Amino acid sequence: MTQRISNAQRSKMQNPLIQFFKFFYLNIRILKIVAGGHGGTRK
Amino acid sequence: MAKIVVLGAGIAGHTAAAHLRRKLSKDHEVLVVSPNRNYQWVPSNIWVGIGRMKSKEVIFPLEPLYKRKGIGYKQAKAISFHPEGDSSETKPYILVEGVFGDNLGKQEKVTYDYLINATGPKLAFDMTEGLLPATNKVYSVCTYDHAEHASDALHKLIDQLKKSDKKAKILIGTGHAKATCQGAAFEYILNVEKELQKFGVRDKAEITWISNEYELGDFGMDGMLMEYNGFNMKSKDMVEMIFEDRGIKWILGAGVTKVEDGVVHYENLEGEYKTESFDFGMLIPAFSGHGFQAYDKDGQNITEKLFRGFMVVDADYTPKPYEEWTVQDWPETYQNPSYKNIFAPGIAFAPPHTISKPRKSKNGTEIFPSPPRTGMPSGITAKLVADNIIDSIKAGKESLHHKGSLGNMGAACIASAGYGMTQGSGVSITTYPIVPDYKKYPNTGGRDIKKTFGDIGLAGHWVKLALHYAFIYKAKMKPFWWLIPE
Ligand SMILES: Cc1cc2nc3c(=O)[nH]c(=O)nc-3n(C[C@H](O)[C@H](O)[C@H](O)COP(=O)(O)OP(=O)(O)OC[C@H]3O[C@@H](n4cnc5c(N)ncnc54)[C@H](O)[C@@H]3O)c2cc1C
Repeated sequence: MTQRISNAQRSKMQNPLIQFFKFFYLNIRILKIVAGGHGGTRK
Repeated sequence: MAKIVVLGAGIAGHTAAAHLRRKLSKDHEVLVVSPNRNYQWVPSNIWVGIGRMKSKEVIFPLEPLYKRKGIGYKQAKAISFHPEGDSSETKPYILVEGVFGDNLGKQEKVTYDYLINATGPKLAFDMTEGLLPATNKVYSVCTYDHAEHASDALHKLIDQLKKSDKKAKILIGTGHAKATCQGAAFEYILNVEKELQKFGVRDKAEITWISNEYELGDFGMDGMLMEYNGFNMKSKDMVEMIFEDRGIKWILGAGVTKVEDGVVHYENLEGEYKTESFDFGMLIPAFSGHGFQAYDKDGQNITEKLFRGFMVVDADYTPKPYEEWTVQDWPETYQNPSYKNIFAPGIAFAPPHTISKPRKSKNGTEIFPSPPRTGMPSGITAKLVADNIIDSIKAGKESLHHKGSLGNMGAACIASAGYGMTQGSGVSITTYPIVPDYKKYPNTGGRDIKKTFGDIGLAGHWVKLALHYAFIYKAKMKPFWWLIPE
């Protein structure tokens, strides 16, 4: 096992308050990409 | 009055049937033919496979829902396709066979005006010798019952580890040289690792990833460059970081050929034949077409007009080298070119080629991932097929305005990395487009870097859990279900 994620990073990743805001941010960002439309590629 | 037959009630078939029923008047008939009486939200099988969800939480029976909504349902499987009818039936039809109750084994002709083939993949365990779920210490999480067996075996192993000084080897990944769905195996390995931690036996287990990918993070999508924490990172580096941090080893470029009791045999890209032993394994099988046959009105076999393994659609199937592949090769409407009233969304359509670069071992064996088609594109392609059929019925002539190429569509992969409201984690990755467009985005690995990003943390677990409830709500067609995007 090699520690690749620092303790500071890890505590941010698991901090419920930070992650609470991240949750909304992620949902909105994902929704924009996924529901942002799709279409063809040919002329 | 039009009759639309939908084969399969997975993400694609169920989505198509639901939209057709909502938007078409009751003058038109929507009939679903599917052998499995339950709808299953496949992505949550990962949690069934570690025992954190019961299978009843990821499934619900289809028949009562379809009855309430006015969707016809036959618990049967398609056997053969007859797109011109035959000497006794003038309409196109599907020969289906009942799989349950009084109809078990009974065959009948189901006629249609429009046909949506959403039969997904055949889980081709038989393509790898000895790879049968719950035999040879190897399991699957591809269906809810497979996942339950996996969970039982995993917890049995955890109990043994708790009670003894025994050390165990766990092997998770792909079980065939051309398997796909690496994302599901990736989620499972991280969840298993987390469970071992939770039960205090992590130090007693060696966990290894085995995959046909050339590099970590390929995921059958040729890897990706993504924005992570403000800088651009390759998926390879991200997965390597996660695996090293969790103490997970890896074997890459491995085409598994055979499984014996606790031993896999594989060939690698170097052309070496190797083995790896394990006490608990989960290997994703190859996905293949169902082997359907098709006949014209005179009974002549026309299978090649409809199928090349999976169903032939409006893709460019001209063989060409990797360097010449373009996003234009990928289908836009999922319509069969020979029979314009047949469509194949979801996994059921034949892709023009893979997305990952094809590679051969030194012995000439092809070892590389097949293209994944995840839940989100399966739902989107099903909806656009349904919308084109609805428009065509309403206009009285063919209408194909709705298009959705995987080369012009985004996808989100929210990979669970451990279960728990405060201790859970998720690796969220979005990609746009799914099939890299190297012409449009030459400097960022074929992807729009503003829309291709990664994130790791507890919020990812909450997103995945929220998606579980949202998509089951949507699939149950509860009030305003259609507002939830595919
Ligand atoms: C363990 C696992 C985890 C996953 N996690 C994710 C995830 O997190 N996110 C994501 O986006 N995707 C995920 N996926 C992929 C996703 O589940 C698939 O993309 C999706 O299920 C494909 O939908 P489909 O309707 O095309 O096929 P399927 O879901 O396979 O449905 C096929 C349907 O056809 C029916 N059928 C089969 N044979 C016949 C026949 N002869 N006649 C009639 N009907 C037939 C089947 O019973 C079924 O109802 C995961 C896959 C797996 C295996």
